[in-house]
Amino acid sequence: MKEYLIPKEGFRVLFFIGKGGVGKTTTSAAAALTLAKKGYKTLIVSIDPAHNLGDVFMLELNNKPKRIVENLYAMELDMEKLIKAYLKHLEENLKHMYRYLTVINLEKYFEVLSFSPGIEEYATLEAIREILQRGDEWDIIVFDTPPTGLTLRVLALPRISLIWANKLIEVRRKILERRKAIEKIQGERKFIIEGEEYKLPSDEEEDAVMKELKKYKEEIEFVHKIITNPKKTAVIAVMNPEMLPLYETERAYESLNKFKIPFRLIVLNKILELEELSSKLKVKIEAQKKVLELIKSKFKGVDIIKIPMFEEEPRGLKWLEKIGGAIIGD
Amino acid sequence: MFENLKAFFKGFFSAFKAQSTEYLEFEERELENVFALVLMGSFVGIPSPPTTLVIRLMPHMVREIYVMQRRAEEMDDIFGEIAAMFEIT
Repeated sequence: MKEYLIPKEGFRVLFFIGKGGVGKTTTSAAAALTLAKKGYKTLIVSIDPAHNLGDVFMLELNNKPKRIVENLYAMELDMEKLIKAYLKHLEENLKHMYRYLTVINLEKYFEVLSFSPGIEEYATLEAIREILQRGDEWDIIVFDTPPTGLTLRVLALPRISLIWANKLIEVRRKILERRKAIEKIQGERKFIIEGEEYKLPSDEEEDAVMKELKKYKEEIEFVHKIITNPKKTAVIAVMNPEMLPLYETERAYESLNKFKIPFRLIVLNKILELEELSSKLKVKIEAQKKVLELIKSKFKGVDIIKIPMFEEEPRGLKWLEKIGGAIIGD
Repeated sequence: MFENLKAFFKGFFSAFKAQSTEYLEFEERELENVFALVLMGSFVGIPSPPTTLVIRLMPHMVREIYVMQRRAEEMDDIFGEIAAMFEIT
């Protein structure tokens, strides 16, 4: 059994990444099912907006963990709904705070925000964080992710967000230092706007902005620590034996290495194995062979598992168990 | 008489106090302006920090946004302001 697939330090997090249509959902469901059968309490979460985890299990899923078999629970996150709910909540908050909202037209800003670039990535990260925060309820958490591009950006976010948070904390500290100095001479200062009086905070513990910044940093650090810890996280790439998925996997491998996120396994899915060949298929099989050789030379220190193309679509628990057995290994 | 004298000294010293923190307050305002600008940067094409972080900070940014708006209005005469601060006439 591969040690990076089972819990070592608390719970284990597995991310299945790959190009669209290579079989991420099936592979992750298969792995989750097999791990659950081995006695690990497993949660599989689909954060892919094009949900098909339910289709693989042949069940309706929602945003609450649903028991599939013993030890295996599945859920699907509806990102669009999450984003809407999240913005709504924030808007309420803001309206309450800004009495003079109409003056600077923040309402318009909110309308625009839900279409702002990157909001989906942030919402996905938020969703992952929430699940990880309750991670101790599980032995293993499997994430079925959206196609590589989005997932890589989501996984890179914690580090980028940390840089932002640190820089903003720096500027904020400078502001508070100035305020403190002025306060020492002038005494406590008030800030009056639209007839409302606010005290100007000068202490880090008093300043709501600083508190929020620090809280945010803490939350992001929590996620960052988990996804960069090889004892907690493993990324598994799923790909087909073709050149384009190979290039994409290579890029993913490089950028995950850059962000120090442990990339451990490649599942080569849908390998054609035929005894009698027509000439057209022969070309395809030759190309496949070339890719298989390339993979071995390109990904050092990464395990590779081959899964053949089956005659029928692998759906339902029996099929999943068969594939899962090959991935997990005994 | 005594009351008047007290009021005079109070005014006298507070003028000194105000003068002594003038530069500091200018710096503070500028930093607050920058802080708000960075957070709302997407409006003017500055790469913006994580959206989640921005919207979480917004409710507490009443003053900074107010300062930013005022700065934007005064922007046309920023040299005038600096000149006034250094008493260049």
